[in-house]
Amino acid sequence: MAPKPHRVVLDRVSGYADEAAAYMRRRRVSRRPFARLYYPSGRSSDHADDSTAGAELFVAAGRLIEVAGKRAKPSPS
Amino acid sequence: MIHEARARGTVGIFTQMADAATPEVAPGDAAQAALAFLTEMSPDLRGAAILDSSGAVLAAAADSERWEEDAAVLFAAADRAGGEPAEQVHVATEQGEVFALRHDGLAAVAVTERFALASLTFFDLRATLRELASSAAEG
Repeated sequence: MAPKPHRVVLDRVSGYADEAAAYMRRRRVSRRPFARLYYPSGRSSDHADDSTAGAELFVAAGRLIEVAGKRAKPSPS
Repeated sequence: MIHEARARGTVGIFTQMADAATPEVAPGDAAQAALAFLTEMSPDLRGAAILDSSGAVLAAAADSERWEEDAAVLFAAADRAGGEPAEQVHVATEQGEVFALRHDGLAAVAVTERFALASLTFFDLRATLRELASSAAEG
């Protein structure tokens, strides 16, 4: 027996949501720290954390993250 | 340690901004309002600061002095890395992400949660600076 039409739509939407969730999960797992610079000319450059420039950028970024602190979680209302 | 950047003269890097020729400094109140608006509309934002062309903080989430020093260190490191003044800086770490942008003679630095969308964050920062610069020019 053919499934009801609304179930087909529901299954399809659920499938897309599952795909998106899996993509975000893979992105979280596989993404490594990076430092990227963009210039007015449109050029951009990546700097690995084991390079001199990259290390300096990561140290500077770490200090800023420390200053910013953690974002306060919104209180449940 | 804290004043290393100042001692090395890195605060001056703000004067090397690509488009630093635009009119001076937005008023502090306008910058505070812009920062409050930015914080409100960006759920991933942990903290941010807006700086003028000399590197002085116009508005900051908390400790202005530290934001000023650390932003100067970041821009100095970015400029050294590429041999020319960088317009945008994006550093993603395990602890969070840092975005820095120079625009219209102003600069903004923001710290967000991990995996914040870079294009949106830069768009918001750029819009904020553009608005501040135009209001300063009008005023």
